[in-house]
Amino acid sequence: MKIASHDKAKPRRGKNSEQAILFNAGHRTFAIAAESVQEIRSTDSLGGSAIELDQTDVPKVKHLVERAGRNYFIVNACTHFGLRLTRPTLVLILRQIRAAVLVDGIERMEELNAIHALPKAFRGEERNWYRGLAYIEDNVIPVVSPSGFLTAAEFETLDAAAKAVQFEGVAEG
Amino acid sequence: MSGAGATERASYVLLRIGNRRFALPSRGIVELAPPVRLHDFPHSSKFVAGVIVRRGRIVPVYDVAPLLTGRESPLHRFYLISNVVVGTEQEASAIPVTGECELASGDVGPRAEDDPDYFQGKLSVDEEAVNVLNLEALVAAGAARAALQGVRA
Repeated sequence: MKIASHDKAKPRRGKNSEQAILFNAGHRTFAIAAESVQEIRSTDSLGGSAIELDQTDVPKVKHLVERAGRNYFIVNACTHFGLRLTRPTLVLILRQIRAAVLVDGIERMEELNAIHALPKAFRGEERNWYRGLAYIEDNVIPVVSPSGFLTAAEFETLDAAAKAVQFEGVAEG
Repeated sequence: MSGAGATERASYVLLRIGNRRFALPSRGIVELAPPVRLHDFPHSSKFVAGVIVRRGRIVPVYDVAPLLTGRESPLHRFYLISNVVVGTEQEASAIPVTGECELASGDVGPRAEDDPDYFQGKLSVDEEAVNVLNLEALVAAGAARAALQGVRA
């Protein structure tokens, strides 16, 4: 058995480094690949265009926003990660899935040289939430998986709720 | 080994969690790490306290104290890192221990009938019968207990 002294994770220069956005939600820091974010908007700027959804099956989604003819469901990051609710100020509109994420704020951009696999000890929902873990300036930061924000079943539920809202709009109009 | 009448003599690491002593077979032990920073992030695996960073690797830390002692983990603690089989793979994993560990060898007798599965036997040390931990069984029991508490909550 070795009794070792303090040490730090060795920075590994990977060929496949990627740009990430570090964001806060519920006083926690997360990373997301910059290329998976299409647009960052303030919640104030979305206020008028966000449509309220009448559904409770997916409690982390209360609104949708329409962008370029597609419905993006707005996921509250605090609810998604089981954190105490804070007041979000920004929305990350994702690129490859029809979801947008309410976050407290953006910390900075960071180049990730390595993403460590999530240890197998973690067996819960976090296996869907995260692509892995990054070690940045003495902090371990989870790298979120954009596709983990909403499951196929949740999209189905939300699409049905969106249709109902749009039908109501047509009926009223 | 467990429950068997035969005894075996091998090398063990004696560790302290709270005010109780336990033993772990020394094979599989990687190192005793100093009280480095425990990193936490949102997750739902309640039996995992967080992760530490050792030698460029991210090592999960199992919160074993409540299960073994009925109390919260002590604040100032070292981390005993050992290989644990998770599914079909081995993973270096840590358990918080109080103070330093020592090596011992001795006879391991069978565990008591009513002992949980994660005690694989009793090691005689200084006229004390110290429970020998089976880490895989301990992790499985801790995860099951945490899941049950999650359901109850």
